[in-house]
Amino acid sequence: MQIKNNIKIWVTVAAIGLILEGWAFYVVSASPEHWRPSMIVNDEPEARALYDTMIETLQKVENLSYKSKCSAPDGRVCTYLIQLKKPSAFRIDVTNDPSLKTNTLVGNGDWLWIYWQGVRPYLIVDDAEGYQKTRSEVYIKKASPAGKNSIAREIDRLGIIWNGLILDPSIFHGYEDPFEPYINGVRSRGPYNYRGEACDIIEVSYMNAQRTRYFWISKEDHLPRQIKQIDRLAENHVRVEEWSDIKSKIIIPQHKVTWSPPEGWRQWHVPGPDDLLLKCGQKAPEFDLPSADGGRIKLSDYRGKTVWLCMWECGRPGCRKVLPDLQKFYEENKDKDLIVLGFNCTDNKKIARRFVRENALTFPNVLDPSEDAEKVMLRGYNNKTKTLPLHTLIDAQGNVMDAWCGYVEGHE
Amino acid sequence: MRKYELIRETFCRRGYIWIVHVVWLVLYGGFWWLFLPESEKEVGDFGRFLFIWGGFFLALALSAGIFGDDISSGRICVLITKPLSHGELYLCRLLGLSLQAAAHFILAGCIIVILRFVMRKGSIEHLGIWLFASWLLFITVAALSTSLSVVVGRIYNSLLILVVVVTVYFILGLLLSSMHQKADTGILTAFIRYAWPPFELLSKFAGGEYGKYSLTVGRFSVSKSIACVVHSVFLTVVYSIIGIILLRKRQFSRQRD
Repeated sequence: MQIKNNIKIWVTVAAIGLILEGWAFYVVSASPEHWRPSMIVNDEPEARALYDTMIETLQKVENLSYKSKCSAPDGRVCTYLIQLKKPSAFRIDVTNDPSLKTNTLVGNGDWLWIYWQGVRPYLIVDDAEGYQKTRSEVYIKKASPAGKNSIAREIDRLGIIWNGLILDPSIFHGYEDPFEPYINGVRSRGPYNYRGEACDIIEVSYMNAQRTRYFWISKEDHLPRQIKQIDRLAENHVRVEEWSDIKSKIIIPQHKVTWSPPEGWRQWHVPGPDDLLLKCGQKAPEFDLPSADGGRIKLSDYRGKTVWLCMWECGRPGCRKVLPDLQKFYEENKDKDLIVLGFNCTDNKKIARRFVRENALTFPNVLDPSEDAEKVMLRGYNNKTKTLPLHTLIDAQGNVMDAWCGYVEGHE
Repeated sequence: MRKYELIRETFCRRGYIWIVHVVWLVLYGGFWWLFLPESEKEVGDFGRFLFIWGGFFLALALSAGIFGDDISSGRICVLITKPLSHGELYLCRLLGLSLQAAAHFILAGCIIVILRFVMRKGSIEHLGIWLFASWLLFITVAALSTSLSVVVGRIYNSLLILVVVVTVYFILGLLLSSMHQKADTGILTAFIRYAWPPFELLSKFAGGEYGKYSLTVGRFSVSKSIACVVHSVFLTVVYSIIGIILLRKRQFSRQRD
């Protein structure tokens, strides 16, 4: 009898132990590599106040100079020397380490100039012939009204750097971060001593945790010391931006933030993303790829109809704005010979499907984060700059009628 | 009474055990004095040092030959006579080691607190969690080492664990540093995370995750912390069960090796 009781006790203890271990295994194996709804952060008032104070501090200070080192796990580092002066002047010198050559952006609130030391690098927007003619002693001049243009985006678009800035210096001049309206919440991750400086870490979640940023904010001056961004695409992309040599109480001399081209230099009219796209009359490249609902989508299946092909990505504010408009357009024109076709080749499938569901997108969507699908977008449809959304109108014979990038506010 | 004697025996089983404790405590103090910067800094660096030296190396040092010595000398035949069962013998040894470690870490904590107030450098924030995590790691490694000492003679149980751990982490480091092989290391990484002594989980439990390119930042939540502790204890139990089974199955001789 006693032996039976002992066995019962041991079996009960073992069962409880296994259940507890099963629960523990489930909890600890929830890997940060895989997106889960619990990654979406709810607002904590104190953390939100820290974030708002950081933005306010950036906007209020009269002069700001800092060094920013942007890196990724692949080991490539870009160094930025950023000088910002109110009301609207700035200068950014950027180097891809370990190269000693510098690219410079200078702006005065109306115009932005970009120029290079020596021979300029071959850029995404270049072609071999054009590059030979514009290798050196050239500069770019663009209209750039203060507070309306993103400096970081200009740097990214040119493809002159390996890792772009996470926190856009344009915030200093009143530019609103386009991701700001998509913040789910801000929460505290506790205090941290970052290289001898007392900081508070906050976590900011955007677009249902499709993007997460962590800010190490100094308790002393409310400016960041480190920023980490995680983009949850088909693979997770991590970038880190480290600030140093921060000076906010200096006066930046005017000559540091002004520039005029030396004699003999020529202005280079750099091709925009639209200039690189397919032209009217060209054959639209065929594709046969998996769709969001588990089937397959073949472009030639829509021969005989006009196709509005929209390439999109969850993490782009422009895409998030244009897709509901396209859904309305699709519903209004369903009975006509006009079809809307979505194309997503970069996103994490779970996040993309959730986005499609939440926005009730019923038009067919390619959803395939594979190399083949990416080649279709980059090489087939010539989207070298990866500017999204990318729209291509294709006629009933399969020829391109028009192609353009981006989303303009109010554009329906 | 016999159980109490077995537990107490782990404190003075070998002459060098007291020396090990003293040297380890001096090492903690030395690290605190020499390597922490003058300004106040999170206990993170010291915590990890304590975790590895106290949780891993100390466990190997104290459990070296814990059964191997008795098996080699033939004394095991005396120990496994009734009324003590094999399981009780094993558990007494392990309990002795755990109590030793608990006393060691409490003493280490006191020394660090004294040093903190005398030298005015470093931070004792989260020191308690690091001590607890180190103790959990200690008992898991001690259980593994004690089980291994049933089949491996003399002090080779500790040496074997040391060599295997260093080799495995070295190979894993080489594999992970090669990006295109990341997918292939999934099984190995999972094995090391869940079946191996829980270095990674316990260090994240104590220190949080602040790695530059890590996919998360901050300390473990309460549920994850509890889950870590549960998993660590479960692993200890599994290693112990293996050790008890091996002890029961082995035939012992009264002859000296």
